[in-house]
Amino acid sequence: MRSEKRGRPSPQGTNGPRGSKAPKVTFWARIYLAVHLVLVLIPIAIVATWSVSASWPWPSLAPASLTTRGFETVLADSSTGLGSLWLSIGIAIACAAFTTCVATLGARAICLHTWRGRRLFEFATMLPFLIPGTVFAMGVQVAFIRLGLARSVGGVILAHSIVALPYAMNIMCDVTRAAGRRMEEASLTCGAGRFATLVHATLPGLAPGIASSLLMCYILSFSQYFLTLLIGGGAVRTFALVLFPYLGGGDRTIAGAYGIVFIAVTLTVFLAFELLIHKLRAVEETAYYES
Amino acid sequence: MSLLPRKARNRVAPYLLALPAALLACVFIFGVANGVAQGFGIMPFLDMHTPTLEYYEQVFAREDLLSSLLYSLYLALVSSLIALVGGVALSYVLVKAKAGRVARLAALQVPIMTMHALVAMAVMFAFSGSGLVARLLHLVGLVATPSDFPSATGATSGWGIILVYIWKEIPYLAFCTVSLMRHISESLGEAARTCGADARQAFLQVTLPLCAGAILRAFLVVFVFALGSYEVPFLLGPTAPKTLPVLAFIEFQDPDIVNRCYSMALNGTTTLLCSLATIVYFASIALRDRRQAGGVHA
Repeated sequence: MRSEKRGRPSPQGTNGPRGSKAPKVTFWARIYLAVHLVLVLIPIAIVATWSVSASWPWPSLAPASLTTRGFETVLADSSTGLGSLWLSIGIAIACAAFTTCVATLGARAICLHTWRGRRLFEFATMLPFLIPGTVFAMGVQVAFIRLGLARSVGGVILAHSIVALPYAMNIMCDVTRAAGRRMEEASLTCGAGRFATLVHATLPGLAPGIASSLLMCYILSFSQYFLTLLIGGGAVRTFALVLFPYLGGGDRTIAGAYGIVFIAVTLTVFLAFELLIHKLRAVEETAYYES
Repeated sequence: MSLLPRKARNRVAPYLLALPAALLACVFIFGVANGVAQGFGIMPFLDMHTPTLEYYEQVFAREDLLSSLLYSLYLALVSSLIALVGGVALSYVLVKAKAGRVARLAALQVPIMTMHALVAMAVMFAFSGSGLVARLLHLVGLVATPSDFPSATGATSGWGIILVYIWKEIPYLAFCTVSLMRHISESLGEAARTCGADARQAFLQVTLPLCAGAILRAFLVVFVFALGSYEVPFLLGPTAPKTLPVLAFIEFQDPDIVNRCYSMALNGTTTLLCSLATIVYFASIALRDRRQAGGVHA
Protein backbone atom coordinates (compact mmCIF):
# COMPACT_ATOMS: atom_id res chain seq x y z
CA MET A 1 0.00 0.00 0.00
CA ARG A 2 2.71 2.41 0.95
CA SER A 3 5.66 0.43 -0.24
CA GLU A 4 7.06 3.34 -2.30
CA LYS A 5 7.50 5.36 0.86
CA ARG A 6 8.85 2.50 2.89
CA GLY A 7 11.40 1.61 0.28
CA ARG A 8 13.16 4.92 0.65
CA PRO A 9 16.37 4.64 2.64
CA SER A 10 16.60 6.34 5.99
CA PRO A 11 17.19 10.08 5.49
CA GLN A 12 19.54 10.26 8.43
CA GLY A 13 21.48 7.20 7.31
CA THR A 14 21.59 6.02 10.90
CA ASN A 15 24.71 3.93 10.63
CA GLY A 16 26.18 4.82 7.31
CA PRO A 17 26.06 2.87 4.05
CA ARG A 18 26.77 -0.56 5.46
CA GLY A 19 23.50 -2.11 4.29
CA SER A 20 25.32 -4.38 1.86
CA LYS A 21 26.60 -6.43 4.81
CA ALA A 22 23.30 -8.16 5.44
CA PRO A 23 20.96 -7.31 2.58
CA LYS A 24 18.93 -10.45 3.19
CA VAL A 25 18.00 -9.45 6.73
CA THR A 26 17.15 -5.95 5.57
CA PHE A 27 14.98 -7.36 2.78
CA TRP A 28 12.93 -9.63 5.04
CA ALA A 29 12.68 -6.92 7.67
CA ARG A 30 11.21 -4.63 5.05
CA ILE A 31 8.70 -7.24 3.95
CA TYR A 32 7.66 -7.72 7.58
CA LEU A 33 7.37 -3.98 8.02
CA ALA A 34 5.26 -3.67 4.88
CA VAL A 35 2.86 -6.34 6.16
CA HIS A 36 2.70 -4.55 9.50
CA LEU A 37 1.91 -1.25 7.80
CA VAL A 38 -0.89 -2.85 5.78
CA LEU A 39 -2.34 -4.37 8.97
CA VAL A 40 -2.18 -0.94 10.61
CA LEU A 41 -3.94 0.76 7.73
CA ILE A 42 -6.68 -1.82 7.01
CA PRO A 43 -8.86 -1.02 10.05
CA ILE A 44 -8.63 2.67 9.32
CA ALA A 45 -9.58 2.06 5.70
CA ILE A 46 -12.62 0.02 6.77
CA VAL A 47 -13.79 2.74 9.15
CA ALA A 48 -13.23 5.36 6.44
CA THR A 49 -15.35 3.38 3.99
CA TRP A 50 -18.19 3.03 6.49
CA SER A 51 -18.06 6.76 7.24
CA VAL A 52 -19.23 7.62 3.73
CA SER A 53 -21.49 4.69 2.95
CA ALA A 54 -25.22 5.29 2.92
CA SER A 55 -26.05 1.62 2.61
CA TRP A 56 -23.80 -1.40 2.52
CA PRO A 57 -26.02 -4.48 2.61
CA TRP A 58 -24.85 -8.05 3.11
CA PRO A 59 -23.04 -9.60 1.30
CA SER A 60 -21.62 -6.96 -1.02
CA LEU A 61 -18.00 -5.98 -0.59
CA ALA A 62 -18.49 -2.32 -1.44
CA PRO A 63 -21.08 0.19 -0.26
CA ALA A 64 -24.19 0.38 -2.42
CA SER A 65 -24.45 4.16 -2.15
CA LEU A 66 -22.45 6.95 -0.62
CA THR A 67 -23.39 9.85 1.62
CA THR A 68 -21.87 12.77 3.51
CA ARG A 69 -24.49 12.42 6.24
CA GLY A 70 -21.98 11.12 8.79
CA PHE A 71 -19.57 14.00 8.40
CA GLU A 72 -22.45 16.49 8.36
CA THR A 73 -23.51 15.18 11.77
CA VAL A 74 -20.01 15.18 13.21
CA LEU A 75 -19.02 18.57 11.86
CA ALA A 76 -22.36 20.21 12.67
CA ASP A 77 -22.20 23.33 14.75
CA SER A 78 -23.66 21.68 17.84
CA SER A 79 -22.60 20.46 21.27
CA THR A 80 -22.33 16.91 19.93
CA GLY A 81 -20.50 18.03 16.81
CA LEU A 82 -17.85 20.70 16.49
CA GLY A 83 -18.61 21.95 20.00
CA SER A 84 -17.39 18.71 21.56
CA LEU A 85 -14.43 18.61 19.22
CA TRP A 86 -13.24 22.08 20.27
CA LEU A 87 -13.85 21.26 23.92
CA SER A 88 -11.76 18.10 23.60
CA ILE A 89 -8.94 19.92 21.84
CA GLY A 90 -8.98 22.62 24.54
CA ILE A 91 -8.91 20.08 27.37
CA ALA A 92 -6.15 18.08 25.68
CA ILE A 93 -4.00 21.20 25.14
CA ALA A 94 -4.48 22.30 28.74
CA CYS A 95 -3.67 18.81 30.02
CA ALA A 96 -0.60 18.56 27.80
CA ALA A 97 0.75 21.95 28.87
CA PHE A 98 0.07 21.39 32.57
CA THR A 99 1.38 17.83 32.76
CA THR A 100 4.49 18.66 30.78
CA CYS A 101 5.33 21.60 33.05
CA VAL A 102 4.85 19.44 36.12
CA ALA A 103 6.88 16.59 34.65
CA THR A 104 9.70 18.90 33.51
CA LEU A 105 10.15 20.11 37.07
CA GLY A 106 9.70 16.65 38.57
CA ALA A 107 12.23 15.12 36.19
CA ARG A 108 14.82 17.72 37.22
CA ALA A 109 14.24 16.78 40.85
CA ILE A 110 14.82 13.11 40.03
CA CYS A 111 17.70 13.38 37.58
CA LEU A 112 19.75 16.36 38.75
CA HIS A 113 19.41 16.30 42.53
CA THR A 114 20.08 13.81 45.29
CA TRP A 115 17.62 14.10 48.12
CA ARG A 116 15.83 12.06 50.69
CA GLY A 117 12.61 10.58 49.32
CA ARG A 118 13.70 10.67 45.71
CA ARG A 119 13.11 6.97 45.04
CA LEU A 120 9.71 7.13 46.72
CA PHE A 121 8.77 10.16 44.64
CA GLU A 122 9.88 8.41 41.46
CA PHE A 123 7.80 5.36 42.33
CA ALA A 124 4.76 7.45 43.25
CA THR A 125 4.74 9.24 39.91
CA MET A 126 4.82 5.85 38.15
CA LEU A 127 1.81 4.51 40.07
CA PRO A 128 -0.74 5.38 37.35
CA PHE A 129 1.14 2.84 35.21
CA LEU A 130 0.71 0.17 37.87
CA ILE A 131 -2.90 0.63 38.91
CA PRO A 132 -5.61 0.87 36.25
CA GLY A 133 -7.29 4.18 35.53
CA THR A 134 -10.72 2.61 36.05
CA VAL A 135 -9.89 1.85 39.68
CA PHE A 136 -8.67 5.41 40.21
CA ALA A 137 -11.68 6.93 38.44
CA MET A 138 -14.31 5.04 40.45
CA GLY A 139 -12.44 5.60 43.69
CA VAL A 140 -11.86 9.31 43.32
CA GLN A 141 -15.27 10.22 41.93
CA VAL A 142 -16.91 10.93 45.28
CA ALA A 143 -13.96 13.03 46.39
CA PHE A 144 -14.11 15.09 43.20
CA ILE A 145 -17.83 15.67 43.72
CA ARG A 146 -17.24 16.84 47.27
CA LEU A 147 -14.40 19.14 46.23
CA GLY A 148 -16.61 20.64 43.54
CA LEU A 149 -14.26 19.41 40.85
CA ALA A 150 -16.67 16.91 39.30
CA ARG A 151 -18.74 17.97 36.32
CA SER A 152 -16.23 20.72 35.57
CA VAL A 153 -13.69 21.15 32.81
CA GLY A 154 -11.00 21.91 35.39
CA GLY A 155 -11.64 18.62 37.18
CA VAL A 156 -11.44 16.68 33.93
CA ILE A 157 -8.14 18.36 33.02
CA LEU A 158 -6.76 17.53 36.47
CA ALA A 159 -7.84 13.88 36.20
CA HIS A 160 -6.38 13.52 32.71
CA SER A 161 -3.12 15.07 33.91
CA ILE A 162 -2.79 12.52 36.69
CA VAL A 163 -3.13 9.61 34.28
CA ALA A 164 -0.74 11.25 31.80
CA LEU A 165 1.88 11.99 34.47
CA PRO A 166 3.95 8.77 34.25
CA TYR A 167 4.19 8.99 30.46
CA ALA A 168 5.38 12.60 30.69
CA MET A 169 7.78 11.81 33.54
CA ASN A 170 9.34 8.97 31.54
CA ILE A 171 9.95 11.17 28.53
CA MET A 172 11.22 14.14 30.55
CA CYS A 173 13.54 11.99 32.68
CA ASP A 174 15.16 10.56 29.56
CA VAL A 175 15.77 13.96 28.03
CA THR A 176 16.85 15.62 31.30
CA ARG A 177 19.37 12.86 31.92
CA ALA A 178 20.68 13.19 28.37
CA ALA A 179 20.94 16.97 28.48
CA GLY A 180 22.55 17.02 31.93
CA ARG A 181 23.82 20.26 33.32
CA ARG A 182 26.73 20.99 31.02
CA MET A 183 25.06 23.72 28.98
CA GLU A 184 23.61 25.45 32.02
CA GLU A 185 26.90 25.44 33.87
CA ALA A 186 28.74 26.70 30.81
CA SER A 187 26.20 29.46 30.42
CA LEU A 188 26.41 30.49 34.07
CA THR A 189 30.21 30.36 34.01
CA CYS A 190 30.23 32.66 31.02
CA GLY A 191 28.31 35.17 33.05
CA ALA A 192 24.79 34.72 31.68
CA GLY A 193 21.99 35.54 34.10
CA ARG A 194 19.65 32.88 35.45
CA PHE A 195 16.85 33.87 33.11
CA ALA A 196 19.11 33.95 30.08
CA THR A 197 20.45 30.54 31.07
CA LEU A 198 16.93 29.16 31.34
CA VAL A 199 15.90 30.51 27.95
CA HIS A 200 19.10 29.89 26.00
CA ALA A 201 20.62 26.83 27.66
CA THR A 202 18.14 24.79 29.71
CA LEU A 203 14.99 24.93 27.60
CA PRO A 204 16.64 24.35 24.19
CA GLY A 205 18.30 21.22 25.59
CA LEU A 206 14.97 19.90 26.82
CA ALA A 207 12.93 21.06 23.83
CA PRO A 208 12.62 17.76 21.92
CA GLY A 209 11.51 16.01 25.10
CA ILE A 210 9.05 18.75 25.93
CA ALA A 211 7.54 18.45 22.47
CA SER A 212 7.18 14.64 22.70
CA SER A 213 5.72 14.91 26.18
CA LEU A 214 3.18 17.49 25.00
CA LEU A 215 2.22 15.19 22.17
CA MET A 216 1.88 12.09 24.36
CA CYS A 217 -0.27 13.91 26.93
CA TYR A 218 -2.39 15.44 24.19
CA ILE A 219 -3.10 12.01 22.71
CA LEU A 220 -3.86 10.48 26.12
CA SER A 221 -6.27 13.23 27.06
CA PHE A 222 -7.94 13.32 23.67
CA SER A 223 -8.71 9.60 23.69
CA GLN A 224 -9.78 9.37 27.34
CA TYR A 225 -13.30 8.02 27.74
CA PHE A 226 -13.91 6.35 31.08
CA LEU A 227 -12.22 8.95 33.26
CA THR A 228 -14.03 11.80 31.49
CA LEU A 229 -17.33 9.99 31.90
CA LEU A 230 -16.89 9.59 35.66
CA ILE A 231 -15.29 12.90 36.52
CA GLY A 232 -17.19 14.98 33.99
CA GLY A 233 -20.41 13.25 35.01
CA GLY A 234 -21.81 13.69 31.51
CA ALA A 235 -21.66 17.48 31.89
CA VAL A 236 -18.29 17.73 30.16
CA ARG A 237 -19.08 16.26 26.76
CA THR A 238 -15.78 15.65 25.07
CA PHE A 239 -15.46 14.20 21.60
CA ALA A 240 -14.57 10.74 22.92
CA LEU A 241 -17.62 10.83 25.16
CA VAL A 242 -19.96 11.79 22.32
CA LEU A 243 -18.63 9.23 19.87
CA PHE A 244 -18.55 6.27 22.27
CA PRO A 245 -22.29 5.41 22.24
CA TYR A 246 -22.19 5.22 18.45
CA LEU A 247 -19.48 2.57 18.53
CA GLY A 248 -21.50 -0.12 20.23
CA GLY A 249 -23.77 -0.50 17.24
CA GLY A 250 -26.53 1.44 15.64
CA ASP A 251 -25.54 4.00 13.07
CA ARG A 252 -22.33 2.81 11.47
CA THR A 253 -22.11 5.77 9.10
CA ILE A 254 -22.03 8.29 11.94
CA ALA A 255 -19.76 6.07 14.04
CA GLY A 256 -17.34 5.81 11.14
CA ALA A 257 -17.40 9.56 10.56
CA TYR A 258 -16.64 10.22 14.23
CA GLY A 259 -13.77 7.77 14.00
CA ILE A 260 -12.28 9.36 10.91
CA VAL A 261 -12.56 12.90 12.29
CA PHE A 262 -10.92 11.67 15.51
CA ILE A 263 -8.02 10.13 13.61
CA ALA A 264 -7.70 13.12 11.26
CA VAL A 265 -7.53 15.62 14.13
CA THR A 266 -4.99 13.59 16.11
CA LEU A 267 -2.92 12.99 13.00
CA THR A 268 -2.85 16.71 12.20
CA VAL A 269 -1.74 17.60 15.71
CA PHE A 270 0.76 14.77 15.59
CA LEU A 271 2.31 15.84 12.30
CA ALA A 272 2.55 19.44 13.50
CA PHE A 273 4.39 18.27 16.61
CA GLU A 274 6.63 15.89 14.66
CA LEU A 275 7.66 18.78 12.44
CA LEU A 276 8.37 20.83 15.53
CA ILE A 277 10.42 18.05 17.17
CA HIS A 278 12.34 17.55 13.94
CA LYS A 279 13.13 21.27 13.74
CA LEU A 280 14.12 21.42 17.41
CA ARG A 281 16.47 18.45 17.03
CA ALA A 282 18.04 20.08 13.98
CA VAL A 283 18.49 23.37 15.85
CA GLU A 284 20.00 21.53 18.79
CA GLU A 285 22.42 19.62 16.60
CA THR A 286 23.66 22.73 14.79
CA ALA A 287 24.06 24.42 18.16
CA TYR A 288 26.35 21.57 19.24
CA TYR A 289 28.39 21.73 16.07
CA GLU A 290 28.83 25.48 16.34
CA SER A 291 29.96 25.38 19.92
CA MET B 1 13.86 32.44 47.46
CA SER B 2 16.86 34.62 46.71
CA LEU B 3 16.76 35.65 50.34
CA LEU B 4 17.93 32.19 51.34
CA PRO B 5 21.62 31.38 51.34
CA ARG B 6 22.80 29.34 48.38
CA LYS B 7 23.32 26.13 50.29
CA ALA B 8 19.84 26.12 51.80
CA ARG B 9 18.41 26.94 48.40
CA ASN B 10 20.10 23.90 46.89
CA ARG B 11 18.69 21.73 49.63
CA VAL B 12 15.15 22.98 49.18
CA ALA B 13 15.25 23.07 45.39
CA PRO B 14 14.52 19.38 44.66
CA TYR B 15 11.53 19.39 47.00
CA LEU B 16 10.08 22.45 45.31
CA LEU B 17 10.69 20.92 41.89
CA ALA B 18 9.03 17.67 42.93
CA LEU B 19 6.08 19.31 44.66
CA PRO B 20 3.61 19.68 41.75
CA ALA B 21 4.15 16.12 40.51
CA ALA B 22 4.00 14.83 44.08
CA LEU B 23 0.64 16.55 44.53
CA LEU B 24 -0.73 14.90 41.39
CA ALA B 25 0.59 11.53 42.57
CA CYS B 26 -1.08 12.15 45.94
CA VAL B 27 -4.45 12.75 44.28
CA PHE B 28 -3.98 9.45 42.46
CA ILE B 29 -3.04 7.60 45.63
CA PHE B 30 -5.92 9.26 47.44
CA GLY B 31 -8.36 8.16 44.74
CA VAL B 32 -7.20 4.56 44.81
CA ALA B 33 -7.06 4.47 48.63
CA ASN B 34 -10.54 5.95 48.78
CA GLY B 35 -11.81 3.19 46.52
CA VAL B 36 -10.04 0.49 48.50
CA ALA B 37 -11.48 1.90 51.74
CA GLN B 38 -14.97 1.87 50.26
CA GLY B 39 -14.44 -1.79 49.44
CA PHE B 40 -13.99 -2.34 53.17
CA GLY B 41 -17.23 -0.51 53.81
CA ILE B 42 -15.72 2.80 54.84
CA MET B 43 -17.79 5.62 53.40
CA PRO B 44 -17.42 8.70 55.59
CA PHE B 45 -19.93 10.66 53.54
CA LEU B 46 -22.57 8.09 54.46
CA ASP B 47 -21.41 7.87 58.07
CA MET B 48 -20.01 4.41 57.54
CA HIS B 49 -16.78 4.22 59.47
CA THR B 50 -16.33 0.63 60.62
CA PRO B 51 -14.17 -1.51 58.37
CA THR B 52 -15.78 -4.78 57.36
CA LEU B 53 -14.93 -7.70 55.13
CA GLU B 54 -18.57 -8.22 54.33
CA TYR B 55 -18.38 -6.86 50.79
CA TYR B 56 -15.32 -8.86 49.87
CA GLU B 57 -17.00 -11.96 51.27
CA GLN B 58 -20.12 -11.29 49.24
CA VAL B 59 -18.12 -10.54 46.13
CA PHE B 60 -16.09 -13.71 46.49
CA ALA B 61 -19.27 -15.68 47.08
CA ARG B 62 -20.59 -14.59 43.70
CA GLU B 63 -20.80 -17.42 41.24
CA ASP B 64 -19.49 -15.31 38.39
CA LEU B 65 -16.52 -13.87 40.26
CA LEU B 66 -14.03 -16.62 39.63
CA SER B 67 -14.90 -16.82 35.96
CA SER B 68 -14.68 -13.01 35.69
CA LEU B 69 -11.34 -12.96 37.42
CA LEU B 70 -9.91 -15.73 35.29
CA TYR B 71 -11.35 -14.19 32.14
CA SER B 72 -9.76 -10.81 32.91
CA LEU B 73 -6.43 -12.45 33.66
CA TYR B 74 -6.65 -14.58 30.53
CA LEU B 75 -7.37 -11.61 28.26
CA ALA B 76 -4.64 -9.47 29.83
CA LEU B 77 -2.06 -12.23 29.84
CA VAL B 78 -2.66 -13.50 26.31
CA SER B 79 -2.81 -10.05 24.75
CA SER B 80 0.23 -8.71 26.56
CA LEU B 81 2.28 -11.84 25.85
CA ILE B 82 1.47 -11.57 22.15
CA ALA B 83 2.28 -7.86 22.36
CA LEU B 84 5.58 -8.72 24.03
CA VAL B 85 6.69 -11.10 21.29
CA GLY B 86 5.24 -9.00 18.48
CA GLY B 87 6.62 -5.77 19.92
CA VAL B 88 10.15 -7.13 20.22
CA ALA B 89 9.89 -8.52 16.69
CA LEU B 90 8.62 -5.22 15.32
CA SER B 91 11.31 -3.33 17.15
CA TYR B 92 13.96 -5.67 15.70
CA VAL B 93 12.47 -5.33 12.24
CA LEU B 94 12.47 -1.53 12.47
CA VAL B 95 16.13 -1.58 13.41
CA LYS B 96 17.08 -4.07 10.70
CA ALA B 97 14.95 -2.58 7.93
CA LYS B 98 16.72 0.75 8.40
CA ALA B 99 13.23 2.15 8.15
CA GLY B 100 12.76 5.75 7.17
CA ARG B 101 11.05 8.30 9.33
CA VAL B 102 7.69 8.06 7.61
CA ALA B 103 7.53 4.26 7.83
CA ARG B 104 8.57 4.35 11.47
CA LEU B 105 5.96 6.93 12.34
CA ALA B 106 3.19 5.14 10.46
CA ALA B 107 4.12 1.79 12.00
CA LEU B 108 4.27 2.99 15.60
CA GLN B 109 2.47 6.26 16.06
CA VAL B 110 -0.72 5.67 14.13
CA PRO B 111 -1.77 2.77 16.39
CA ILE B 112 -0.61 4.59 19.53
CA MET B 113 -2.73 7.63 18.81
CA THR B 114 -5.88 5.76 17.77
CA MET B 115 -8.37 5.40 20.60
CA HIS B 116 -8.93 1.81 21.80
CA ALA B 117 -12.67 2.07 21.29
CA LEU B 118 -12.21 3.06 17.66
CA VAL B 119 -10.11 -0.02 17.05
CA ALA B 120 -12.86 -2.05 18.68
CA MET B 121 -15.27 -0.52 16.19
CA ALA B 122 -12.99 -1.45 13.29
CA VAL B 123 -12.81 -5.03 14.60
CA MET B 124 -16.60 -5.06 14.70
CA PHE B 125 -16.82 -3.81 11.13
CA ALA B 126 -14.31 -6.42 9.99
CA PHE B 127 -15.12 -9.47 12.09
CA SER B 128 -18.76 -9.33 13.11
CA GLY B 129 -21.24 -11.75 11.58
CA SER B 130 -22.01 -9.39 8.72
CA GLY B 131 -18.51 -7.91 8.68
CA LEU B 132 -16.09 -7.65 5.82
CA VAL B 133 -14.30 -10.93 6.50
CA ALA B 134 -17.59 -12.83 6.64
CA ARG B 135 -18.50 -11.23 3.30
CA LEU B 136 -15.21 -12.32 1.79
CA LEU B 137 -15.80 -15.85 3.03
CA HIS B 138 -19.31 -15.70 1.58
CA LEU B 139 -17.76 -14.84 -1.76
CA VAL B 140 -15.71 -18.02 -1.73
CA GLY B 141 -18.69 -19.95 -0.45
CA LEU B 142 -17.54 -20.72 3.08
CA VAL B 143 -20.20 -18.67 4.83
CA ALA B 144 -23.83 -18.68 3.76
CA THR B 145 -25.46 -16.26 6.18
CA PRO B 146 -24.05 -13.79 8.78
CA SER B 147 -24.94 -16.18 11.60
CA ASP B 148 -22.58 -18.82 10.16
CA PHE B 149 -19.53 -16.69 10.85
CA PRO B 150 -17.92 -16.91 14.32
CA SER B 151 -18.39 -13.24 15.18
CA ALA B 152 -15.68 -11.43 17.14
CA THR B 153 -18.25 -9.50 19.13
CA GLY B 154 -19.49 -11.34 22.14
CA ALA B 155 -17.22 -14.36 21.55
CA THR B 156 -16.39 -16.10 24.80
CA SER B 157 -12.83 -16.68 23.64
CA GLY B 158 -12.48 -12.90 23.48
CA TRP B 159 -10.39 -13.02 20.32
CA GLY B 160 -11.84 -9.70 19.16
CA ILE B 161 -10.73 -8.04 22.38
CA ILE B 162 -7.28 -9.57 22.11
CA LEU B 163 -7.06 -8.40 18.51
CA VAL B 164 -7.77 -4.81 19.57
CA TYR B 165 -5.18 -4.93 22.33
CA ILE B 166 -2.44 -6.39 20.20
CA TRP B 167 -3.12 -3.95 17.36
CA LYS B 168 -2.57 -1.17 19.86
CA GLU B 169 0.09 -2.63 22.12
CA ILE B 170 2.55 -4.30 19.72
CA PRO B 171 3.45 -0.86 18.34
CA TYR B 172 3.45 0.61 21.87
CA LEU B 173 5.91 -2.01 23.07
CA ALA B 174 8.07 -1.46 20.01
CA PHE B 175 7.86 2.30 20.60
CA CYS B 176 9.18 1.82 24.14
CA THR B 177 12.12 -0.33 23.05
CA VAL B 178 13.11 0.65 19.52
CA SER B 179 15.47 3.54 20.24
CA LEU B 180 17.30 1.60 22.96
CA MET B 181 17.48 -1.47 20.73
CA ARG B 182 18.85 0.53 17.81
CA HIS B 183 21.46 2.09 20.06
CA ILE B 184 22.60 -1.25 21.54
CA SER B 185 22.43 -3.12 18.26
CA GLU B 186 24.64 -0.51 16.60
CA SER B 187 27.19 -0.39 19.38
CA LEU B 188 27.47 -3.59 21.42
CA GLY B 189 25.64 -5.80 18.94
CA GLU B 190 28.10 -4.81 16.24
CA ALA B 191 30.96 -5.36 18.66
CA ALA B 192 29.70 -8.89 19.29
CA ARG B 193 29.54 -9.47 15.54
CA THR B 194 33.11 -8.25 15.17
CA CYS B 195 34.14 -10.70 17.90
CA GLY B 196 32.69 -13.54 15.84
CA ALA B 197 29.12 -13.92 17.09
CA ASP B 198 26.58 -14.64 14.38
CA ALA B 199 23.53 -12.41 13.97
CA ARG B 200 21.36 -14.67 16.11
CA GLN B 201 23.85 -14.85 18.95
CA ALA B 202 24.44 -11.10 18.82
CA PHE B 203 20.71 -10.47 19.10
CA LEU B 204 19.78 -13.16 21.63
CA GLN B 205 22.83 -12.89 23.89
CA VAL B 206 23.74 -9.21 23.70
CA THR B 207 21.03 -6.92 22.36
CA LEU B 208 17.97 -8.64 23.85
CA PRO B 209 19.28 -9.04 27.43
CA LEU B 210 20.34 -5.41 27.48
CA CYS B 211 16.89 -4.31 26.33
CA ALA B 212 15.16 -6.62 28.80
CA GLY B 213 14.56 -3.89 31.38
CA ALA B 214 12.73 -1.62 28.96
CA ILE B 215 10.83 -4.55 27.47
CA LEU B 216 9.68 -5.88 30.85
CA ARG B 217 8.60 -2.46 31.94
CA ALA B 218 6.52 -1.91 28.80
CA PHE B 219 5.07 -5.39 29.23
CA LEU B 220 3.93 -4.53 32.75
CA VAL B 221 2.29 -1.29 31.57
CA VAL B 222 0.47 -3.13 28.79
CA PHE B 223 -0.61 -5.98 31.10
CA VAL B 224 -2.02 -3.61 33.73
CA PHE B 225 -3.78 -1.62 31.06
CA ALA B 226 -5.41 -4.66 29.51
CA LEU B 227 -6.42 -5.95 32.93
CA GLY B 228 -8.02 -2.72 34.02
CA SER B 229 -9.52 -1.16 30.94
CA TYR B 230 -13.24 -0.88 30.47
CA GLU B 231 -14.01 0.23 26.92
CA VAL B 232 -12.87 -2.72 24.84
CA PRO B 233 -14.41 -5.58 26.84
CA PHE B 234 -17.56 -3.49 27.22
CA LEU B 235 -17.87 -3.12 23.45
CA LEU B 236 -16.70 -6.55 22.34
CA GLY B 237 -17.05 -8.81 25.37
CA PRO B 238 -19.59 -11.59 25.86
CA THR B 239 -22.53 -11.28 28.27
CA ALA B 240 -20.80 -13.81 30.50
CA PRO B 241 -18.16 -13.88 31.78
CA LYS B 242 -17.62 -10.15 32.10
CA THR B 243 -14.23 -8.70 32.91
CA LEU B 244 -13.66 -7.29 36.40
CA PRO B 245 -13.75 -3.60 35.39
CA VAL B 246 -17.00 -4.10 33.44
CA LEU B 247 -18.53 -5.93 36.40
CA ALA B 248 -17.31 -3.22 38.77
CA PHE B 249 -18.79 -0.44 36.67
CA ILE B 250 -22.18 -2.18 36.49
CA GLU B 251 -22.25 -2.34 40.31
CA PHE B 252 -20.95 1.24 40.46
CA GLN B 253 -23.88 2.53 38.42
CA ASP B 254 -26.47 0.98 40.72
CA PRO B 255 -28.76 3.71 42.10
CA ASP B 256 -28.19 2.38 45.62
CA ILE B 257 -24.95 4.05 46.64
CA VAL B 258 -24.06 1.37 49.21
CA ASN B 259 -23.77 -0.94 46.24
CA ARG B 260 -20.54 0.88 45.45
CA CYS B 261 -18.88 -1.13 48.18
CA TYR B 262 -19.24 -4.24 45.98
CA SER B 263 -17.91 -2.31 43.06
CA MET B 264 -14.90 -1.20 45.09
CA ALA B 265 -14.31 -4.72 46.38
CA LEU B 266 -14.12 -5.81 42.73
CA ASN B 267 -11.74 -2.92 42.03
CA GLY B 268 -9.73 -3.96 45.06
CA THR B 269 -9.39 -7.40 43.52
CA THR B 270 -8.16 -5.86 40.26
CA THR B 271 -5.70 -3.70 42.21
CA LEU B 272 -4.45 -6.78 44.04
CA LEU B 273 -3.78 -8.56 40.74
CA CYS B 274 -1.95 -5.48 39.43
CA SER B 275 0.10 -5.26 42.62
CA LEU B 276 1.07 -8.91 42.24
CA ALA B 277 2.17 -8.20 38.68
CA THR B 278 4.20 -5.23 39.92
CA ILE B 279 5.86 -7.34 42.61
CA VAL B 280 6.74 -10.01 40.05
CA TYR B 281 8.18 -7.25 37.85
CA PHE B 282 10.37 -5.78 40.59
CA ALA B 283 11.44 -9.23 41.73
CA SER B 284 12.50 -10.20 38.24
CA ILE B 285 14.39 -6.91 37.81
CA ALA B 286 16.19 -7.51 41.10
CA LEU B 287 16.96 -11.10 40.13
CA ARG B 288 18.33 -10.00 36.77
CA ASP B 289 20.47 -7.30 38.38
CA ARG B 290 21.87 -9.76 40.87
CA ARG B 291 22.58 -12.32 38.18
CA GLN B 292 24.31 -9.71 36.05
CA ALA B 293 26.34 -8.44 38.97
CA GLY B 294 27.27 -12.07 39.76
CA GLY B 295 28.25 -12.62 36.16
CA VAL B 296 30.58 -9.64 36.25
CA HIS B 297 32.28 -10.84 39.43
CA ALA B 298 32.66 -14.43 38.31
